[in-house]
Order: sequence, then C-alpha cells, then structure tokens
Amino acid sequence: MTATLFRLRALVALVALLVTFSCLSPAFLSAANLTILLKHVAINAIMAIGMTFVILSGGIDLSVGSIAGLAGMIAGGLIDHGLVLRPFGVVVYFQVWLVIAIALMGGALVGAINGLLVARLSVAPFIATLGTMYAARGAALLLSNGATFPNLAGRADLGNTGFPLLGEGTVPIWLMVAFGVAAALVAARTRFGRHVYAVGGNERAAQLSGVRVKRVKLLVYVISGICSGAVGLIVASQLVAAHPATGQSFELNAIAAVVLGGTSLMGGRGGIGGTIAGALVIGALADGLVLLGVSEFWQIVIKGIVIIVAVVLDQLQRRIQWQPSVK
Amino acid sequence: MAAFGKVAWVLAVAALLSACGPRQPQAGSGGRKTIAIITPSHDNPFFKAEADNAAARARELGYDAMVNTHDDDAHKQDELFDSAIANHAVAIIVDNAGADASIAAVRKAKAAGIPSFLIDREINANGVAAAQIVSNNYQGAALGAQEFVRLMGEKGSYVELVGRESDTNAAIRTQGYHDVLDKYPEMKMVARQSANWSQTEAFQKMETIIQGNRGIKGVIAGNDTMALGASAALKAAGLAKVLVVGFDGSPDVIAAIRAGDIQATVLQPAARIARLAVDQAHHYLTSGTTGAPEKQAIDCELVNRANAGEFGVFARK
Repeated sequence: MTATLFRLRALVALVALLVTFSCLSPAFLSAANLTILLKHVAINAIMAIGMTFVILSGGIDLSVGSIAGLAGMIAGGLIDHGLVLRPFGVVVYFQVWLVIAIALMGGALVGAINGLLVARLSVAPFIATLGTMYAARGAALLLSNGATFPNLAGRADLGNTGFPLLGEGTVPIWLMVAFGVAAALVAARTRFGRHVYAVGGNERAAQLSGVRVKRVKLLVYVISGICSGAVGLIVASQLVAAHPATGQSFELNAIAAVVLGGTSLMGGRGGIGGTIAGALVIGALADGLVLLGVSEFWQIVIKGIVIIVAVVLDQLQRRIQWQPSVK
Repeated sequence: MAAFGKVAWVLAVAALLSACGPRQPQAGSGGRKTIAIITPSHDNPFFKAEADNAAARARELGYDAMVNTHDDDAHKQDELFDSAIANHAVAIIVDNAGADASIAAVRKAKAAGIPSFLIDREINANGVAAAQIVSNNYQGAALGAQEFVRLMGEKGSYVELVGRESDTNAAIRTQGYHDVLDKYPEMKMVARQSANWSQTEAFQKMETIIQGNRGIKGVIAGNDTMALGASAALKAAGLAKVLVVGFDGSPDVIAAIRAGDIQATVLQPAARIARLAVDQAHHYLTSGTTGAPEKQAIDCELVNRANAGEFGVFARK
C-alpha cells in the first residue's frame, strides 16, 4: 500500500495541490482555468516527454530550450521573410505545414548532432548538450540578428496563413495527449522502448545481449529534438511572434517534470505517465500560486522545495523496494 | 626533438600574435581612436538601438567603434572592460550589467585613464563615471499611468505586470505607476505579478490571471515585451477590448498601437541618449570636461494612437 502511494507520488501531490488551490481560490477548479492550466502544462510536458527517453537511456539533454527557440525562429523566418535564394534572385514562401515540418527537422537535426556526439564520439551527454545548447541559441539569434519575427499570422496572398492555429484554444492540449500516448506506447510496447530501458539500466549488458546501443542513443536525442521543436512552434504560435530567447531555462522545468514523475536520473527506471504527472504538478503549482497572487520569489522557493521533496521520496521508495529482496 | 617541436610551436604562435598586435586599433587604425561600446544582448531591439546609434555617432565624429555585449553578466562585462583597456580605447560607452556589480569595472577603467559614459542604467557610485545618462523612468512611468487613467475613465479593475523584481528599473516604474494610480480610489488593482520582462511568461501569467478576474478593464505592464505577451493572451481569450499600456516604445509595440491591439507606451529615448553619451565623450576628450553634470535624466515621451506615426526605432522619426 505504502509502496503504491510512493510510486504514484506525483499523482498524490497533484490531487493535494488541486484540493488546496480549489479551497483557496474559487476560480481554480473552473473548466476555463483547468483548460488554461493544461495549455501551460502542455509546453513543459511535450518537452519533458522527449527528455524522458533521454534520461531513461542514461543521458540528459540540456539543449531542449535552445532547440525550442531555434525551431520557433526557423518557422518565424520562413513565414515572415520566406527562404531567400540569392543566386536565383527568388524568395520561396512555403505553406504552413511545410514550414512546421522544416522547423521540426531543424530540431531533429540538433538532436541528431547530440546523439552523434554522445553515441559515436563518446562525449558525456551533459557536455555534448551543453555545447549544442549554446550553439543552437546562437544560431537562433543569428537567424534574425537578434530581432523578433513579429507577425507569424502569414499573408493570404502568399498562401502561408494558419500558423497561429497550432497554439490556439485547446490545440496544444491535444498535441500533448497525442505526444503522450505515442510516447507511452513506444516506451512500453515496442522493441525500441525496451531497448531504451535496457541501455539505461545496464549499458554493457544491453550491448552484450545484442541491443544496438549507439542507434538507441542517437534516436533518443532525435526524439527529444523533435519534441523540443514542437514546443518552440507552439510557443511562437501562441505569441504570433518568434523571439530568439524563447525557451531559456525550459530545460530545467523539463528535467524537473521527469524527476518529479519518478524517472531515475541514472536511467533505466521510470516512464512517460509519471513525467506527465510531474509536469501537471509543476504547472498546477505555478498557475495556482499566480491565481492566489503569491510573489514571484515565493513561487521559485516553493518549486525548489517540491523538487527536493520529490527526490528525497525517490530515495525512500528505493529503500522500501529493496528491503524484501534483502531478506 | 619533441620538446624542440613544442618550443617551435610556441614561438610560431607568439610570432603570429605579435604580428597581429599592431593591427589592433592602438591609437586606432589610420590614427583613428577607438570608443568601446558595451551593452546587454542585442536580442532586445532596445539595446541594439543603443549600440547602433552610439557606434554611428562615434564614426560620424571620426572614431572607430568597438561594439560588444555583456549579456547582463557582470563578469563578462569586466572582461570586456579589460579588452577595451588593452586595446587603448579612449572612452567606454556602457549600458551596465548591474548597479553594484559594475562599479569595480568602471573604476578600473578610470584608473587606466579611460572615462566611462553610462547610458540607460546608473551605478550606485558617484564620481567614478564621467557621465550617467538615463531615461527618466519615474517621469515616464507617471506619464504612462496618467494615460492609463485617462483610457480607463478613472475607474475599473486592472492588472499590473511587473518586471524582474530584483531590477531597479522595475521598482522605479511600479513606484511611478502607483504614485499616480493610487490617487484614484475607483481604480482597483485586482492582480499584480512579475513576468520577469518576458513575453512568454507574461502570456502565460495573463492567461491564468484572466481566469480569476474576467471583469478586468486594463493591464499596465512594466515593459513592452510583457505588454505584447499580455495583449496576445487577452486576444486569445476574446478580451481584445481590455486596455493595455506598456513601457519602452519598442517598434513592435508601436506597430501594435497603430493596429489598435495596445493603447499606449512610453518611449525611452535610447537613440538620443546613446548619441548624447558619445557627444559628451567627444567633448571630454577634446576639452577635458563633458560640459554636463554627471547624472542626467532624459525625459520619456508618451506614444499613443494619436502620435504613433511620429516615432521610429526608439526615437522620433
């Protein structure tokens, strides 16, 4: 019983938060507020879903926030200014679905670079993704020379309208659901998913039992890159503007959601469901405190305490689980 | 042999470096003197406008301009001061990285005989910089608040979005706002949150605040990026009629004012301040004084629908 409660601690924390906030603020439990809450959670959750694969494999991805910024800027540039082909003297404007695809490919590309650095060149994941974190941020700034692409609504005469739809209404929530379901299926039901756990659990053993460790490592970073790219597109779409600094410190929120959700930073243990619950806890905490008018400084302090408590609980859980096997 | 090879390498690199040395603008290339211009990151058009205008004015007056950004990192700023000193810059124009954290760097430049001209942000020390020219944030905030009161019809509930609370300008602006707004008993602040100057954060916090307070009539923000974020959130929630007032006078917000999405902002004369600082540096270098007191506050200007067409990038057209 206690063990089950421990395992579902993110959910327990979530229920506790929901009850507390709805007692303190009548607006909290309204359908409209919960929708907004889910929208805010979606941004962090989608990024954290990609991060979960990386952490399950025993790695970490610090470049996710920068990838989000870069993907937003790629989309912004393509919509606002098109692709300028100087030698031919033409400017190509893509339809929005193609813009989205190109931006996501940008995210996948940075992810692939991370993966190659980690898998092929054996660079420590922390260092490899720290490097791409800076490089991708710099690239985002270079794309516009530091400026904002201010109007992503597109122009009807160029046929590239429709981008704001991505962040409109409940669309981000459904995207989170789609990403979540797909990721949960991949993690639990596919061979690749089992291999990710195997690599994170014991890389050497996985290698010896025939898992293509390098390929698995490459793919988890590509997945993380695509998820982060999607987040960048949603944020840009909501603001109808792309700013190169978008996504700064998002990586920390994503890692926090994964850890809160019970995935071990050592790899091999955890899952997508926990991550979503973790993202919900962080989101409910942030929005609830804003609704109550709590000062920004206290919000940061409380968030930090929650993360620490989560990790302490994680250690306790392991002790509880180990005891039977010791006997 | 290996040791010899290493020595040869070191010598070769040293030779290369010393060959590069004279090309650094020592007394400047072709006798032109260098003015170092250091600002926060150019990803904010405000700082880019500062750097661009200072550099342009410096070149007009016959100087070379060495432009760098410190990204609000006092340590990086310190290194940039070191390289300005090493390159024999004749003056430093700086939008500093912290009122206390920057004093040592400015003092170091002074000790090396290089005067610093501070723009946009002050430091908490007098007599160290040759000049500290800032926009009058308090006057600007009062101006913005008066316009906000007028737009609101002197009554109704409103939300305030504050900048990064550890930042002096955030405190001065909210003080300026409230010294005006609190005089009107029917103006009621229903929520006050910091959005850390950020558009994304303002968007999300506004969306949440709306949930508890759907009846709000206006939003007053401590800068323009937060005003843009709030405006996007209000629009998405079908509350486009809510009045939004910002601060800075960024080109994006001026465009939004012309489109009717945002009602007013207060323009900080960043371009004018940057050029003024270079002018005073030139005056100082040619005559030994800046011809002005150390602390100077330049008034901000109100931008609303009626006059939005008259403004360009942080300056009157």
